[in-house]
Amino acid sequence: MLLALLGLHAVLAAAAPAVSRRLGRGVFAVCAVAPAATVAYALARAPAAFDGAPASETVAWAGRLGLDLQLRLDAFAVLMVLLVSGIGVLIFAYCAWYFGPRPDLGRFAATLLAFAGSMLGVVLADNVLVLYVFWELTTVTSYLLIGFDHEKGSARAAALQGLLVTAAGGLVMLAGLVVLGEAAGTYTLSAMLADPPAGGAATAGALLALGGAFTKSAQVPFHFWLAGAMAAPTPVSAYLHSATMVKAGVYLVARLAPAFALLGGWRELVVGVGVATMLLGGWRALRQHDLKLLLAYGTVSQLGFMMILLGAGVPEATRAGAVLLLAHGAFKAALFMVVGIVDHQAGTRDLRRLSGLGRRMPATFWVAVVAAASMAGLPPLFGFVAKEAAFEAYLHGGIGPIGPIALGGMALGSVLTFAYSARFVWGAFADKPDVARAGHDGAGAHAPPAAFLAPAALLAVVTVAIGVLPSFAAGLVNAAAAALDPAVEPGTLALWHGFNLALWLSALVIVAGVALFARRREVEHLQARLPSMVDAAQAYHGLVKGLNRGADRVTGLVQNGSLPVYLGTILLTVVALPLPALLSGGLPTPDGVIAESLLQLAVIGGVAVAAIGTVLARRRFAAVLFLGGVGYGVAILFVVQGAPDLALTQLLVETLSLVVFVLVLRHLPENFEVHHWRLGQAFRRAVAGLVGVFVFVFVLAAGQARTSPPVSEAYLAQALPEAGGRNVVNVILVDFRGFDTLGEITVLAVAALGIAGLVRARRRERGDEEPA
Amino acid sequence: MNVLVPLPVVLPLVAAAASVLLQRWLRVQQAFGVLACVGTLAASIALLARVESGGVSAVQLGGWPAPGGITLVADRFSAIMLVVSTAVVLAVLVYALGQLDAAHESLYFHPVYLVLVAGVSASFLTGDLFNLFVAFEIMLTASYVLITLGGSGAQVRAGMTYVVISLVASTLFVAGVGLVYAATGTVNMADLSQRLAEVPGDLRMALGLLFVCVFGIKAAIFPLFFWLPDAYPTAPSPVTAVFAGLLTKVGVYAIIRTQTLLFVPVGRPSVVLLVIAGATMVVGVLGAIAQNDIKRILSFHIVSQIGYMVMGLALFTLAGLAGAIFYIVHHIIVKTALFLVAGIIETATGTAALSRLAGLVRRAPLVAALFAVPALSLAGFPPFSGFVAKLALVRAGLEVGQGVIVGVSLAVSLLTIFSMSKIWGGAFWGSLTEQEVSPTPEAVPRPVPAGGARLRVPPTMLLSTAALVALSLAVAVAAGPLYALSERAAANLLDTTAYVTAVLG
Repeated sequence: MLLALLGLHAVLAAAAPAVSRRLGRGVFAVCAVAPAATVAYALARAPAAFDGAPASETVAWAGRLGLDLQLRLDAFAVLMVLLVSGIGVLIFAYCAWYFGPRPDLGRFAATLLAFAGSMLGVVLADNVLVLYVFWELTTVTSYLLIGFDHEKGSARAAALQGLLVTAAGGLVMLAGLVVLGEAAGTYTLSAMLADPPAGGAATAGALLALGGAFTKSAQVPFHFWLAGAMAAPTPVSAYLHSATMVKAGVYLVARLAPAFALLGGWRELVVGVGVATMLLGGWRALRQHDLKLLLAYGTVSQLGFMMILLGAGVPEATRAGAVLLLAHGAFKAALFMVVGIVDHQAGTRDLRRLSGLGRRMPATFWVAVVAAASMAGLPPLFGFVAKEAAFEAYLHGGIGPIGPIALGGMALGSVLTFAYSARFVWGAFADKPDVARAGHDGAGAHAPPAAFLAPAALLAVVTVAIGVLPSFAAGLVNAAAAALDPAVEPGTLALWHGFNLALWLSALVIVAGVALFARRREVEHLQARLPSMVDAAQAYHGLVKGLNRGADRVTGLVQNGSLPVYLGTILLTVVALPLPALLSGGLPTPDGVIAESLLQLAVIGGVAVAAIGTVLARRRFAAVLFLGGVGYGVAILFVVQGAPDLALTQLLVETLSLVVFVLVLRHLPENFEVHHWRLGQAFRRAVAGLVGVFVFVFVLAAGQARTSPPVSEAYLAQALPEAGGRNVVNVILVDFRGFDTLGEITVLAVAALGIAGLVRARRRERGDEEPA
Repeated sequence: MNVLVPLPVVLPLVAAAASVLLQRWLRVQQAFGVLACVGTLAASIALLARVESGGVSAVQLGGWPAPGGITLVADRFSAIMLVVSTAVVLAVLVYALGQLDAAHESLYFHPVYLVLVAGVSASFLTGDLFNLFVAFEIMLTASYVLITLGGSGAQVRAGMTYVVISLVASTLFVAGVGLVYAATGTVNMADLSQRLAEVPGDLRMALGLLFVCVFGIKAAIFPLFFWLPDAYPTAPSPVTAVFAGLLTKVGVYAIIRTQTLLFVPVGRPSVVLLVIAGATMVVGVLGAIAQNDIKRILSFHIVSQIGYMVMGLALFTLAGLAGAIFYIVHHIIVKTALFLVAGIIETATGTAALSRLAGLVRRAPLVAALFAVPALSLAGFPPFSGFVAKLALVRAGLEVGQGVIVGVSLAVSLLTIFSMSKIWGGAFWGSLTEQEVSPTPEAVPRPVPAGGARLRVPPTMLLSTAALVALSLAVAVAAGPLYALSERAAANLLDTTAYVTAVLG
């Protein structure tokens, strides 16, 4: 069934373009069927999953590589599925109102649904390699969705940035997962976590796996891609870049933490990065004027928050993290939908140009207030419950020195969160006299149709409902946390814990947050003046630029288009690579006979002189003559050795070549080109000499190595009795190795066809087409 | 005597001869060529099935027993290579029917193409080092003709680089064969595998590295690859596609065959090969990043990916070789498909330069999909065949603790996706109105139809490209059995007994 659900996503996505041609925006309703069915199934299976009987399926794929399609729906997966598919249904509903009629809606719906299916796969995968498969599918679909408005250069650049950052992290993660898999002896996630490997390899693997988690979940210093991703249409931002995909990293960390948190520095790293991210995201959010960017940095901050909770491997924090996952999914998706509505109705989402919308669209305003208040952690909302649970988890201590850092970070981060939440509501809806005076009083903005607001409103209702009656979610949260870490004890979720330390801390956060919001102008000015400490976006651009420049330089160097340089490099490589091995036993010394007769010696001398002459010649004609000399010399050598037919062949070839050369030389300058680089000539001669010496030495060494008789002796013995020929060379050519000769004849035939073709093409170029 | 073994060579060769005679009847010639390729494919599949069930098959040509005569040998590795290459050859031929005009075809395209097929098949099947040289010559001569097909000036000039460097490689090859014969007195590969074992280790290593260079020029490894990106992009698209998919891989095949059967390195994993592998990957992909033309980007990718194949060989483990074989299979299909897509774009718009293309995702959504799948696959993105291939190599590398090369291979796959996104962002995304079109010196009127109009693409071109893309998806789906087959083939490479016994008895 799990596989069928994934298949349903794929099939509907494939059909979406065709459907949209017929139904227009109705395609979104069709697409919503897949996530809706998934939610229904997850709810039906939830009781069993909570009792520790998760649904699981396996389809064989490439088992020898550890790659089998293993899926598993345990309680934590149920929580994630509700988040992924539940919000998915709402997003599709929202899309139908957000988009006007446009020709590429089908492609958009298809990609969005493909993403929904991929994300579902991430949370269902029970095999780390399959998890990586779905993980990267979300990377690709995210790339396509960020760049959906591909006519804009900025959208294309943002898409590429997101792709590169997350894919880079993903590859590091892949290495980590393989190392972990090898260490554990299994790639099945549940089996690996039930019996976690330890030791150096496991530590390295677990740390590498964080590369994927940190980039995907936009942790410092990789947070910048998420801001860029806001180039996507707002439904995409709401779905991928706040509610689901960016939580994949958190999801992975949550899965791994109980098993690996205690391995060398893992917990400290995750919590430390989480704290840094929470603070940096919150701080940056206070400065944004684009409401979407404000929310994006808010998301970065909240993702850091989740890392702190789910990455520590502390049972109570894990439980708090599960609460926060749900709460954040609800309020942040709602807020993005609100931004989309504001943008759609008012034509801008710049808070310096928005005023008076609170009066003009009150329903939207109240949805935003509820969601933002939940984000700010105000009672009696879901976000408050989550934050209380988080403080509670870290107030008990006992996690070493990182505990207080985490607690302090969360408190400070919550102050920032309060402030930017307030800034959001104020920025989008407040009456701002100065803005109104500048002519941006939002007079043209009407309240949205009820159905457009409905998905966001529904999420706001959920936020209130669970805030007031948290026990609704307690069962899910307890079971999910216990699925991550059996050490988690089921607890109750409550709005009211009494006057405990966590409550006082919350009160302090709110007071400080109000103060920070009140001084928002000063904060903005301060930020403008402070140099930004972590400018990772700058680093990214520098890196890409450097890469492009480096690539140009390297390529310009190795690929300079000069044939002599290519040949020189090739020949030097041919000499250099085998040379150390060849000379490792010292220079081979000729043993025994060097030459069999004086005549032989004389001919060899002649050949050598001619060869050297070829290299030294300045005029082309001289070089050709010398080359001919080499050939004729070899022919004479054949005669001396008693092979007259070979000699005859060689003579014919040599004479023919000479004739052709002379004919060609008529079209070429008399002398070889003069080089601007004087060394060029010397270099070429050196290479030629080197190759000559190299071959000479090689022949000496090879000749001395022979221990057994050559096959030619068998040829001599067999030629007459078995092949019936007295001329052994002929017998070899036509009988023993006739297949070689067939090949060489083919070569000649093809060469002839090629020349005929070139001649014909040339004639055609000249215009005198021969009669067909 | 097993007739099946020589069939993949004989069939296209005889067909080529007949095809010359059919020159006057173009339609008949076309149909005949396709038929011959189908026959070759069928013979190759039958051969693979036979080798799978019956083990290594050898045929002594002319009945002269090895090591005197020439032996053709089919083991799993060569049979796999045959099946994949003939499948690709068939797809490209069908594609060429839609793309080439009669003028091109009249220049003996069909017979020469069939000779190329015969040469490639012979390279995979021969069990004789000198005959391998002959097979290379058949293949190369045919490729010289094809790369200059049409004979435009630029094409002949670019072709010259290719021809000259290939001739140098051939000279070195024949010199290498001479040295091997000097040292052992034989050129039969099974015989050599025994006799070379008796040669001093240093000399064997020197000979082995010489052959790495010889085949490395063909395979386009670093630093011997320069000719490739200059020569490939100028040829007609189907020719480039089949060269890109096949010819370098014949070189890789020869490296793997000779390194496992003849010159087994003393130290394993072979550090020299690992360094070559890493450098080839990196320099190749940097070259791709620096380009602005689809065909040139894809050409540099070939170089980069050869590095992955060499990496698998360099590890010299069962997993490494299996990964290399799987990678080759995946690469041949995917790479050819990408070049076919490039050809479609070039045919439909008149250019492959990114600066003059835009918005194809709207104007040709099907072509966009046909590009996206192999592009992601080539970059090793899941769930496509390239991911499985990369995963196999990564696992093989980590298994023997070669973290450095694994790291390099992963980083290079990121750079590959970077350079692929350049094609996607440049050709498929964006709009022509948005960017200024740089005036070109030739001032060719741009045949790009007004924005929004759908591109017209000949159906045979789309069909054959789609078939290859579907084949690459099939490789991903059937990754399990295919990897198992690669593993069995790799086992045959590591334990040469079966090969030697089949040849020498």
